[in-house]
Order: sequence, then C-alpha cells, then structure tokens
Amino acid sequence: MNVASRLPDTSAAALADRPAQSAKPPFLGFGLGLRHQHYDEILNGNPPIDWFEVISENYMLPGGQPLRALDRICERYPVVMHGVSLSIASTAPPNFEYLQALKDLARRVEPKWISDHLCWTGVHGKNLHDLLPIPYTREALDHVVSRVQLVQDFLGRAIVLENVSTYVQFNNSEMTEWEFLSELSRRSGCGLLFDINNVYVSAFNHGYDPLTFLNGIPADRVVQFHMAGHSHMGTHIIDTHDHPVCEDVWDLYVAALKRFGRVSTMIERDDNIPPLDELLVEVVRTREIAEKVLPTGKQAG
Amino acid sequence: MSDFARQQAEFQRGILSDDDTVLAEILDSPREKREALFGVYRYAYGSRLVEAVRNDHELLHLYLGDEMFDEMGHAYVKAYPSEHPNLRWFSRSLPDFLRSNAPYSDHPVLSDLAALEKALNDAFDAAEGAVVELTEMAGFAPEAWSDLRFRAHSSAFRLDLATNASAIWLALKNDETPPEATALDQPARLLIWRQDVTPMFRELSAEEAMMWDEAVNGISFGVLCEMLATYDDPDGAAGRGAGYLHGWITAGLLTGVSVGKIDS
Repeated sequence: MNVASRLPDTSAAALADRPAQSAKPPFLGFGLGLRHQHYDEILNGNPPIDWFEVISENYMLPGGQPLRALDRICERYPVVMHGVSLSIASTAPPNFEYLQALKDLARRVEPKWISDHLCWTGVHGKNLHDLLPIPYTREALDHVVSRVQLVQDFLGRAIVLENVSTYVQFNNSEMTEWEFLSELSRRSGCGLLFDINNVYVSAFNHGYDPLTFLNGIPADRVVQFHMAGHSHMGTHIIDTHDHPVCEDVWDLYVAALKRFGRVSTMIERDDNIPPLDELLVEVVRTREIAEKVLPTGKQAG
Repeated sequence: MSDFARQQAEFQRGILSDDDTVLAEILDSPREKREALFGVYRYAYGSRLVEAVRNDHELLHLYLGDEMFDEMGHAYVKAYPSEHPNLRWFSRSLPDFLRSNAPYSDHPVLSDLAALEKALNDAFDAAEGAVVELTEMAGFAPEAWSDLRFRAHSSAFRLDLATNASAIWLALKNDETPPEATALDQPARLLIWRQDVTPMFRELSAEEAMMWDEAVNGISFGVLCEMLATYDDPDGAAGRGAGYLHGWITAGLLTGVSVGKIDS
C-alpha cells in the first residue's frame, strides 16, 4: 500500500494551512458519555450537561436512527469523539479505510477533539476489540510517535490519547507509563486524555502510587479527564465501567484538579447503564468538586 | 520482524489459542501471578465478542437460552475471529456459520432466525435515502406508466426462509411460546426494510416476491404486468401490479421512480 499517496499535501503551503497541533482545546465543562439508552431523555429534556463524548465506532454506520440522534445532539451540545479501534500502537499497517471513516464522521460531527487510547487492538488482520497493553520501550515509543504523526497528518488535526487500564507489565519495559505518555505527547504533539479511574486501576494492579503517575504527566498536555467505575477482584481490579465512581477515584480527581487545573471532565459508563438521573448526580459531583478545589477565577492550567 | 511486532503477535496468539509463550515476557504483579493477569485478557476477548453476538441476536438468544447460546457464541468466535475494527459487523457471518456447522446445521431454523435478525439489524442502520410519495405518481402521464422503473430504498432486502423462523421470531418478540420449528414446503419470501427509523418485515406472496425481485432489477412496470399475467388472472394483472406498487410506496420501500432507465 502506498502510504504517502493517502496523506494530505505536505508542501509548505499546505503545512501553513494545517491547524497547530499543539493548540490546547477549550475547557468544555462537565460532560457525560452519550449512550443510546438516553437519547429520548436528552432530546426531550435538554438535561444540564455541558457536553457529550460519543463512541466514534457507534456512529461509523451508513445511516439510520443512531446518526439521526447524533445529528440532533450535535445541534444542542458540544461533542467530542472517542474511539476504541484506532489501534495506534499496533505494529500492523495503518487501516486507512478506518481512518477515512473516522475523518468522514468528524466532518459531520465537528467534534471539539478526537480521542482514542494508547493501546493496540490486533495484528495480522485480526481485531480483538480490547485495549491491549504495550511494553514501554524506546522501540515502541518511536513506533507510536510515527503512527500518531501519520494519523494527525491524515486527519489534519492533533489527536488526544488516553491511558488505559492494564493488567500486565512487560519485563522489557525501559520506562514508566507516565514517562512514555509524556514523551509521546512531547514528540508527537498529541493531547492526553487522563483517565483517573484507569490510573487508579493500573496503580493497584502494578503496585505503585497513583500520585506518582499523576505527578509524572505534563500538566499542559491534559485536555480531558475520564471518571468511571471498576470491579475489584481482590488481587487485581478490572476496568469494567459498570459501577458508579468509587470514593478513592473521587479523591484522585481532587489531586488531578490540583495538578492539572480545570480540565473538561466526564462520567464514562459503558455497561449496566443506569437511568440518566443517576449519572447526572455524578456529573454534578464532578462540577461541585472542581468548584470547591478550584473556585472560578482561581483556575490553573 | 521487530521485537515489538513479535511481542504483539505472541500476545495475540496467547489470547486466541491458549499459547503461553508470551508469559515469559510478562511480570507477576505484587499480588497476583502473571497467568491469572493475562487470563483477564483471554476471558475478556471471548466474553466481549459473545456479548456482541448476543446484543445483535436477542431473539436467537431467547430461543436457545443462556447456556446453548454462549456455547454457540464461543464456537462462532473461534470460527470467525473479528477482522473489522467496528464490533457492529462482527456477527454478520452468524447465519452462514449456523448453516454450515454441526450441530447447528441440523436445525435450519437457527440460521433462518439469525438471518432474519441480521437483516433487521442491517435495515436499522442502512443508508438514508429519499422516499417516493404517492403524490409523485400522479405526475406521470397514463401512457408513461408502462415504462416506469423503480429503485428500492437502501434498507430494503429480500430474504427467503426454509423454515417457520418468522413465526418463531414473532412469538418470541411478543413474549409468547414459539411454535415448534418446521420446514416449509415453499420458502417464506420476506421483504425487510426500515420505515422511518423502525425495521420492519412482511411476507410476500410468490407473485409479489417475483414482481419485487424483477422491479429492483430494473424491469419496467409494463413488463412486470406481463409477468404477473403468467401467475394468475391475466385480465387483473395490471390491477394487481398497481396494488403491489401502492403498498411499496406507502411503506416507504421505494427511493426512486422514473420513466425509462433509472439511475443506478
């Protein structure tokens, strides 16, 4: 496959027109992950939610009700796109059909930003539909940096990458996850989606202090927080996103606010979806805690 | 192959085939052995994909029950590993799998039920398209009608079933006890489509199914009526053709009508 032919014009004139990849997106406030169970309540009730995050793949479809609902929500709320299949760290060739579909959806949604995960989902033509871990090696870093640059060139905008929950660590890692993320962001210009629950999960699973992770991330690169629930298995935690946010993660959110300042924050629930009102209580709490920790007018970041 | 690529290949093989080679490169955690930790990924793979199949085939799940459905689902995951980045399309080969793999192939109602659910799912998020209104038909002069050609809405799909799967589908949908599965003497000719946002299906007579199949192949209304005349009373053929056409338009099944060759 001729990769160069799929990329936009990189002449000096074209580069001058490209958006600056390091520009930090705006603060959107306190949002929620859009789920189809809540379409009617949102469209009929206009609930007090500042913005929505949509799962990109759920709308990479030919047509029908999901896209119609999305169009109507985009008319009323700021939206960001969050994918699960970019597979940015995969050593497989880039999937340009996927990237084109992502770009087409972005043209329709006009998202404030596009995010996915620092992970891979498959190689050799297979897709495991999971957020798989990587070794934190210089080789992996070089690979992911070049892949992020390729994707950003294709999309014509900086992307945002999220730290995933991991259950294993590789014995050939040469740096910590936060060092890897910091270098990745610095070299590629991508933003970071700081998933506070994932930091908590990975810290427990691998036996380090989540504050060490938090303090190792450059504050100026973080454009979004995720807040979610998990399942504690005793010896390890699984990132199931099917429970309310636990108190330890709320505590870590306070620490994240102190380090990163006001960052667009959202509640992410993927399974065992409760009524919208229940999730609104958590959204309100993200707002109240932020107001308490960083009263308006004293915001940092 | 780079070390990174080799490691990913081994990690994936460990998930797909229970090959433990990758464990040599994974650390125990402070509280748990690497086998158990890697097992989180192994378990998540199968359960996530089976859940995707279950979400797409709620009534097949209801028909088979949890245990049999999960067993079937895991067999499908093994036979058809996902090759598409969007989980939406993972279950698309389920009817083929059930049709061609024992013990499921011994029960053709299963592949029929899966095919019907798949067709409804496909109609649900099929591409948008204009819908022909009855008022548009009044714009055609009577002498032009024999040359009218039709284009189906992008959600419309014809499906022939060899069993009474559609009756079973209806019973399950209405929380009723489904009838016993039976093979049909003549196939049930279904037409599936989306009306506004709702997927629908109905059974066609042999005559209407023939007319639909030929109409979407670009055959003109005049020729369609001549074909109808070979099915039943020739004198009533034009009336029956107009009746079928009326039904298609009111159901939102047509996206284009024109005189002469229709745009593809």
